[in-house]
Amino acid sequence: MTINASTAGERSQSPSLVTQLLKKPSQEQIVLLITLSLLVVFSATLAGFAHLANLLNLVRSISILGILGLGMGLIVISRGIDLSEVAIMAGSWSVALIEIQRGLPTFWAAILALVIALMIGVANGVMVAFVEAPPLFVTLAAGFVIYGAAFWYAPSWVVYAPKPEDAPYLLYLGHDYLFGIPVPIIVFALAAIGMQLFLARTSIGRFIYAQGDNPEAARLAGIPLRPLIVLEYVLVALLAWLAGLVWIGTTGSMQMGIVQGTYIFDVILVVVLGGISLVGGRGGVFSVVVGCALIGTLFNAFTIMDINSEVQNIIKGVVLLAAIVLDNWLHPRDEETARQGE
Amino acid sequence: MNDVLTALLPTASAASGEPVLRVVKGSKIYGGVHAIEDIDFDLYAGEVHALVGENGAGKSTLCKAIAGAIKLTSGEYYVDGKPADFERPRDALAAGICMVYQETSLVPTMTAAQNIELGNEKLLTRFRTLNIQAQQLLQSLNFHIDPATPVALLGTAKKQMVEIARAVYNKARIIIFDEPTASLTPEEIVHFFNLVRDLRRRGVAIIYISHALEESLQISDRITVLRDGKLVITANTADMTREKLVRHMVGRDITHTYYARAAKEANGGAAHRARGEKVLTVENVTMGMVVKNMSFSVYAGEVVGIAGLIGSGRTEIAKVVFGALKRNLINGGTVKLRGKPVRYRVPKQAIDAGIAYVTEDRKLNGFFETMVVDDNVYIGKLATRAGWRLLLSKLMRGKLADYWVERLKISALQRKAKIVELSGGNQQKVVVAKSLVQDPSIVIFDEPTRGVDVGTIPEIHAQIRRLAEEGKAVVVISSYLPEVLSISDRILVARLGRIVAEFDAADATEDKIMYAAIH
Repeated sequence: MTINASTAGERSQSPSLVTQLLKKPSQEQIVLLITLSLLVVFSATLAGFAHLANLLNLVRSISILGILGLGMGLIVISRGIDLSEVAIMAGSWSVALIEIQRGLPTFWAAILALVIALMIGVANGVMVAFVEAPPLFVTLAAGFVIYGAAFWYAPSWVVYAPKPEDAPYLLYLGHDYLFGIPVPIIVFALAAIGMQLFLARTSIGRFIYAQGDNPEAARLAGIPLRPLIVLEYVLVALLAWLAGLVWIGTTGSMQMGIVQGTYIFDVILVVVLGGISLVGGRGGVFSVVVGCALIGTLFNAFTIMDINSEVQNIIKGVVLLAAIVLDNWLHPRDEETARQGE
Repeated sequence: MNDVLTALLPTASAASGEPVLRVVKGSKIYGGVHAIEDIDFDLYAGEVHALVGENGAGKSTLCKAIAGAIKLTSGEYYVDGKPADFERPRDALAAGICMVYQETSLVPTMTAAQNIELGNEKLLTRFRTLNIQAQQLLQSLNFHIDPATPVALLGTAKKQMVEIARAVYNKARIIIFDEPTASLTPEEIVHFFNLVRDLRRRGVAIIYISHALEESLQISDRITVLRDGKLVITANTADMTREKLVRHMVGRDITHTYYARAAKEANGGAAHRARGEKVLTVENVTMGMVVKNMSFSVYAGEVVGIAGLIGSGRTEIAKVVFGALKRNLINGGTVKLRGKPVRYRVPKQAIDAGIAYVTEDRKLNGFFETMVVDDNVYIGKLATRAGWRLLLSKLMRGKLADYWVERLKISALQRKAKIVELSGGNQQKVVVAKSLVQDPSIVIFDEPTRGVDVGTIPEIHAQIRRLAEEGKAVVVISSYLPEVLSISDRILVARLGRIVAEFDAADATEDKIMYAAIH
């Protein structure tokens, strides 16, 4: 093309770009490499690991985590976070299951759960977008409110779903097999594909990346940020609802206890691990899949090796820290802020 | 420590012996562009050394380098004649260099005394001892401040005093003041000058940055003029006058020929170009303390230049029109688009109405750094009402990008690279393309060539003129006077939130504009 004065500057920059690529692989690549090597090591050392049944079980066990991770991934890409995701899942379905026990048809119960979830999503979104409260605290508070409200409405640690014979459709997604593959895996795969299409092929997906990259630039470019934020939190709630549907099919019940546990941190772990940076605007569906693969492999190996949960927690914590350090290394702060941090 | 003590003792001999600080051939390159280039600067104990220059001349870069906030790309420092290396802000602090910032860097919830001690806290502090120490220090400086007052309750002038006290407490030998009088009242300025003179008597070396030339002439012993990142002259203040300073500040060398030619062409072109309908009217718009009763109008097919210093309200008025900032709800004035009053809550509404704003700080809010050129341009289109569609079209994205890459001569080699990796000039072109793709009828450029390499500036100017020829109303905000002169048909000068002067491009000169812009 045209040779002008600006090409001189570019020429000096292009080699540094190449070396940068050589020096810094993407986080997805690193995590994928680790996962593959772990798979090889565990296959060689752990009896029963490499069996097809176990591998299917491995993928099945992370399906729910993966579906939740897709929602969390979306919101983290946009520079937000949703700590109430697990609470939305548990709360909306607890209420729905109680209503089934009281005689509501299963279809309408599922709709009820969906409406509750979406309403919470809208509330979260409005608080973040219009009240401009920090998402961390909005969703933390929302989590408490949902937990309290659901428990007050359905005062039981475990709310049982009807038996599969009584509600075949409700439990199908978590319970059944299709062509020999557990349905949760298929649900996760479809959700991942849907999310991938949404993020990569629609303008709204582009807007979400733009917002995460630079919210002020997005606003000045004319992207309607506030409606966009509300939509993001609604989508997270939608995925939480879907994850809940799989959950009750898999376990036959909904346990409010998971809201108080560390499950939400597992969700954040798979998201951050896979390379969806907390800085925003980076990573994608593949990151969630890769993060799930690594965590699933580790959990599965822990189960086979019968490692107790305390040690599991230590390993999870270390992995999360490592992921954040890696993220910082891959996306360093600029010179001036880095130096002022001394 | 000994030399520190002697330096703090009153010394009558100003500007004698070894300089306390010397910078030799200091250069700093940001993204391929020299922010400062080969600057030699020296500073003696007990002197006030004023730094003057237009916005972007490199004053702040030089001072940040001296204070250790940024690292020079090349160049050497000498402290007391000995080579020094400022790797971190701490190193500069250890050498006794303190910077008093425009925006005060105090902790508002802490008391004056706590702020003075900030960074030097002992493990255990008794508030009483601390307050007494601070009281003694403040009294010795003739500051009437109660050390136990939280800083948030103090006025701007007193906050500045606390900062100065902190610098003295830190045994500063060199204090850098960045626009210290910008927010002071005339009486406070008099007091502040007395204080600077007092510091000078104590042997402190002072670097004084100010837009107000009279102040620099009044307070300094020597003056250094910077222009386009290069040192123009360092001279004794006694030999300087306001006229000489302005001439040194605006006189050009390398770029002179281009701008002079461009200015002539522009003036010739303006005669041909017929002014269209009145598109945008701003009437008595007020926003907080920054924009006060600003009024002007813009016609189709003309380029209006708005000159003015930072803080004159020129950027803010553009953002008010664009909906990025909100003007006062009551008595906020009116903005009219083709005669119809409008008030935009968000930029999207302004964009849909055909207004584009090209930001002054592209790195802060101009582009999406993780995305490639094509995506940046396409997002601009998608964000408009006419250009929105749910499913992305690769064809459309490619076509738009091809068109704008061609039209703005964006380096095609880098279409695949993320935008952060581009040169400043190419980044700016992408930011421009991202706005122009929205098909606006009014385009507001804020500092369109800041941090852009010399070769690219004429290209951007040609695009700006082309827009006016296409019948669009164009506003160019710039603190670079040759730029305003060479591309505008009409020039407005903003000062302290008001439009204070209007020139036809044919009658305007740099001196006239500068006189109007400087208070």
